Amino acid sequence: MNPYILTILLFAMGLGTTITFASSHWLLAWMGLEINTLAILPLMCQSHHPRAVEATIKYFLTQATAAAMLLFASITNAWITGQWNLEFMSYSLPTTLVTVALALKIGLAPLHAWMPEVLQGLDLTTGLILSTWQKLAPFCLLLQINPSNTSLLLILGLASTLVGGWGGLNQNQLRKILAYSSIAHLGWMILVLQFFPSLTLLTLLMYFVMTFSLFISFKVNNSTTINSLSMSWSKAPIISSMVPFILLSLGGLPPLSGFMPKWLILQELTKQSLAPLATLAALSALLSLYFYLRISYAMTLTMTPNILLNALPWRLPSNQHTLPLAITTSLTICLLPLTPAIITLLTL
Amino acid sequence: MMYMMYFLLFGLVLGLAAVASNPSPYFAALGLVVVAGIGCGVLIWHGGSFLSLILFLIYLGGMLVVFAYSAALAAEPYPEGWGSWPVLGLMLGYLLGVVSVGMLFSSSMYDESWMVCDEFGEFYFVRGDMEGVATLYSSGGFMLAMGVWVLLVTLFVVLELTRGMSRGTLRAV
Repeated sequence: MNPYILTILLFAMGLGTTITFASSHWLLAWMGLEINTLAILPLMCQSHHPRAVEATIKYFLTQATAAAMLLFASITNAWITGQWNLEFMSYSLPTTLVTVALALKIGLAPLHAWMPEVLQGLDLTTGLILSTWQKLAPFCLLLQINPSNTSLLLILGLASTLVGGWGGLNQNQLRKILAYSSIAHLGWMILVLQFFPSLTLLTLLMYFVMTFSLFISFKVNNSTTINSLSMSWSKAPIISSMVPFILLSLGGLPPLSGFMPKWLILQELTKQSLAPLATLAALSALLSLYFYLRISYAMTLTMTPNILLNALPWRLPSNQHTLPLAITTSLTICLLPLTPAIITLLTL
Repeated sequence: MMYMMYFLLFGLVLGLAAVASNPSPYFAALGLVVVAGIGCGVLIWHGGSFLSLILFLIYLGGMLVVFAYSAALAAEPYPEGWGSWPVLGLMLGYLLGVVSVGMLFSSSMYDESWMVCDEFGEFYFVRGDMEGVATLYSSGGFMLAMGVWVLLVTLFVVLELTRGMSRGTLRAV
């Protein structure tokens, strides 16, 4: 793409999120979300491939619907209460509608169906932007509204973790697996939103770090299916040896950093007398763990039958910029001992 | 007065059902014209005369004209309107749905009135909508600049999406 256009689009994406972050008026928050949607559209159909165009259209339609629902809810709230502030929504109908609209925006179950199809049509970098940056603005809004109904958020959260687990089980396309993993993690974030919002922020940031390292590892291997990952041990052996740790961190196993959000969320849910819910959420994490293990099995733990590569290839210096991958992989693996410091830093 | 409002809102629902039920863009856009015109009428009754004029000009006179031209380019040789039974059935179904939901949520026909009061929070000597537009240009100047910039970005996005013959994303026309 023309570098000037690329600059303008990336700047507009930053602008949209910044506007939503800085806003306390619903119209301004809506405006930021729309700018984000608008700016990512050309990035999504950069390759001009019909599959990418289809993903762009699906993304645009769902996000436009969510933004329209958000606008409708905020105008209803302004009609009833006479004010446009985010934090002072006191009636249940607009607040519920806003929650559902934001759930559609980020892809929570049962409003998740667009996510795997959209991610499948994109290349890995744009999919990464979609999974990480585009979630920041809606979460900022979700963190600020006071929820009308306790069970709505809990149902959205539990359904997302279960759908994210079961949906990813039969996939061999990596982008769809990443989409279902995103849905599951978003479910965990929403579960604890009304009890301890700092944990939502913590889970979000940890998810960003973990999924960044996974996306970039797949990108370095230039693979989008599990089958093509099986030869990555010869292309980039260090990455092949680190990816199982990233995957197990996404699955939430101690002593990796992915355990941190899950542990704290389960503790908070138990403190709120929601122990059965916590048990169900923990069991749903097992489902996700299965497909993470399957990827690491294909990539690292087994050597698939192929031509003998250990004697042949020229190990030429790679031109890939892997410093961000190195940083985020280290963070994904080693951050658990810093839990108290991180919680203190993120206390809202 | 109230009869006028009844009439306008009835036409609005009819037009919206027309937009939703027609598979052909010609008739759906015709329904949209009717809806936008009636919406402007309702807006005038609520005191926003300036805004209504602007809406009429820009929405109908600008965007809908462009939509009509692009619909004419992607021509449908045999458009289906209300003349064919499936479309008419869909239209009647939507109307039935709206009426039933309306009857579900309203207490009775005579409890509420459609009398419009053009009221404002505080005592002002200008109309609300014109004051709003003036505020956009004075203390809302930063938001105006933001709106201008976003429109420019929209232009770039649209141009990027429809770029050229084979480099573009949408079907080359």
